[in-house]
Amino acid sequence: MQLQQAIQELITKMADDELVIGHRNSEWTGLGPVMEEDIAFSSMAQDKIGHAWALYRILQESFGGTDPDQFAFLRNARDYRCCHFAEMPIGSYEFSLMRHFLFDHAETVRYQSLSGSSFTPLQHLAGKVKGELKYHTLHADAWIIQLCTAGKDSRRRMQTALDDCFQLAGGIFEPGEGEDLLIAEQIYPGEAALYQQWLNNISPVIEKAGLTLPVLTAPVYGGRKGQHTQYLQQLLEEMGEVFRLDPEATW
Amino acid sequence: MNDSLDPRVNRLRLDKNDGSFKVEEGENWNVFEVFHQEKRGAHHEHVGCVHAPDASLALIFAKEQFGRRKKCVNLWVVRSADILAFDLEDEDMFANNPDKTYRDASGFKVMDKINKFKAQTK
Amino acid sequence: MYGGGYIFDEPNGKQQREEQLHDDPVKLAAFEARIARGEKIEPGDWMPVEYRRQLIRLIEQHAHSEIIGALPEGTWITRAPGFKRKLALIAKVQDEVGHGQLLYNAAETLGKSREAMINDLLSGKSKYSNVFNYPAETWADVTVIGFLIDAAAIVNQVANSKGSYGPYCRALERICYEESFHLKQGHDAFIELATGTPAQKGMLQDALNRWWQPIMHFFGPPDKTSNHSEKLMQWKVKMASNDDMRNQFLDAYVPKIWELGLTLPDPLLKKNADTGKWEYSDPDWDLFFEVIKGNGPCNKERLDVRKWAEENGRWIRKALMREDEMERSALPVA
Repeated sequence: MQLQQAIQELITKMADDELVIGHRNSEWTGLGPVMEEDIAFSSMAQDKIGHAWALYRILQESFGGTDPDQFAFLRNARDYRCCHFAEMPIGSYEFSLMRHFLFDHAETVRYQSLSGSSFTPLQHLAGKVKGELKYHTLHADAWIIQLCTAGKDSRRRMQTALDDCFQLAGGIFEPGEGEDLLIAEQIYPGEAALYQQWLNNISPVIEKAGLTLPVLTAPVYGGRKGQHTQYLQQLLEEMGEVFRLDPEATW
Repeated sequence: MNDSLDPRVNRLRLDKNDGSFKVEEGENWNVFEVFHQEKRGAHHEHVGCVHAPDASLALIFAKEQFGRRKKCVNLWVVRSADILAFDLEDEDMFANNPDKTYRDASGFKVMDKINKFKAQTK
Repeated sequence: MYGGGYIFDEPNGKQQREEQLHDDPVKLAAFEARIARGEKIEPGDWMPVEYRRQLIRLIEQHAHSEIIGALPEGTWITRAPGFKRKLALIAKVQDEVGHGQLLYNAAETLGKSREAMINDLLSGKSKYSNVFNYPAETWADVTVIGFLIDAAAIVNQVANSKGSYGPYCRALERICYEESFHLKQGHDAFIELATGTPAQKGMLQDALNRWWQPIMHFFGPPDKTSNHSEKLMQWKVKMASNDDMRNQFLDAYVPKIWELGLTLPDPLLKKNADTGKWEYSDPDWDLFFEVIKGNGPCNKERLDVRKWAEENGRWIRKALMREDEMERSALPVA
């Protein structure tokens, strides 16, 4: 695999993750547990979709890729590179909150590593999203700790959510082809390094919350190779529904 | 499955609202007043309030409800219960302020005196 | 968004109005003089029982309209075509929840808790704008809502923002500022379809036909049939009559629809050059009252969804209730 292609793979999987989880989280807009949280969660969903858009623009501008709207909304499911974790339906709020906690810490670690990337567009983007991600993890940590220390019932719910999420979250760090090349060229440090850093970052919060961190025995891989859950296809149909009425038209 | 035009709604397990569900008093927590600082060096100004279980979540909520659009560099939150204010009937305590011109620059007409002095000494 | 000009009456209205007779006449006179001078009323101030009751009713209905109003458009968040429309739509629906938050707070300063208001919404005791009991069937409906329902709401909210109650006016000031973004993005998406392919134009025209009657209903029944608004006008609770607001809306927006080559499903709709007033066929007011009673196409779904949200969020809210501190729990002060 060529370096150029490896960079595009990296950007595509990051963007697809953010596009899909952003859509999932946006489904809570108007349905949140309390209005204040509804607003906060919606902002973060917007940020995710915004990050995806920025990444697709990098593909377009740096690699002569297609229009971000077309690329984001009209590919076939097998051409998406998102992890299964992002695809899962919103489920209960505890599931969505736990996914937000695990995913946003992973995203933060990834962008932090990119702030030293030799690929300038990603390095710039990492600087741009830093403040947003700081808020996302502040928000996630506060909720996890508060709910887990608010009594047995809520801690049990959060532990269940963590157990449900954890192997899926491992899929964020599915190794990709061409990773060695990216590491050698100092584009980013590779999935194994990000995973370790992620564990280092979430562990103190998990501990403070009194949760038990599961062992990553069977990370859910496949997304990075274009193998997806049934839920992705359903969501993609929705996302492209209006577009496909007339792909040539502007909306 | 529900029979809705909303695909989101069709994914929810929706029960009929039979009117028996009640939110309990206090379920929306306490109220915190929010003060917004537009730029460094400026005063924090009152912009509204949020419901939150404690000050740290109040600040997290305030950030998006009151700092998501216009320029903002910082926020304060303070429990509404901790705000003490005068009553409307006490407005009369302030009534004579405008009369006390000795507290105000406008109460001192130095130019009149300077001009008068200059005219005399010419 | 979405004040909705019409304040729905409560069944116990009459009994409450009798309490007004017991207001201290000296205080009442001072209160009315204050309003006549253009002063604002603030939460701790003395106010007539009926003023408080009507304001709670008005602001609460406005707040409900915002959070229920988030649902028909929320439907389209995942389906919105392209990044720009999608982000604008999520931000807009988010604003509606934000407006609900501001308005519930404003109503709470009058002494009714957010919890009590939500319960009255779920039980059907308290109403919200009728317009949200209609479905958004296609993307074109979203653009019609975003442009015309928001425009109608702005007419109403700009009027209300000059009212007498300080916290409501302050909330509306922020709301109107955000509404100008809603209107602009709604108009933009509307124009995109109106000037697009024949299919796009067709779906827009269909949506316009569907929404015209609910839009005409929006400001409430004609002035000749509504009663008891004189006192509310004097107290600056109601700032403009239903017919005046409807006329103002038609005057500003019908030309913007016609200029795009679209039609409206009312052969009688025209501006009378002599009176300067718009003439139109009477919309079906029986239907309007039927929908208020709960028999519109989406009333049940809207409340079922709202209940789902409240019910599923309950454990989170309850987990973080601090019983020992509830005693100090306060209503907003401003």
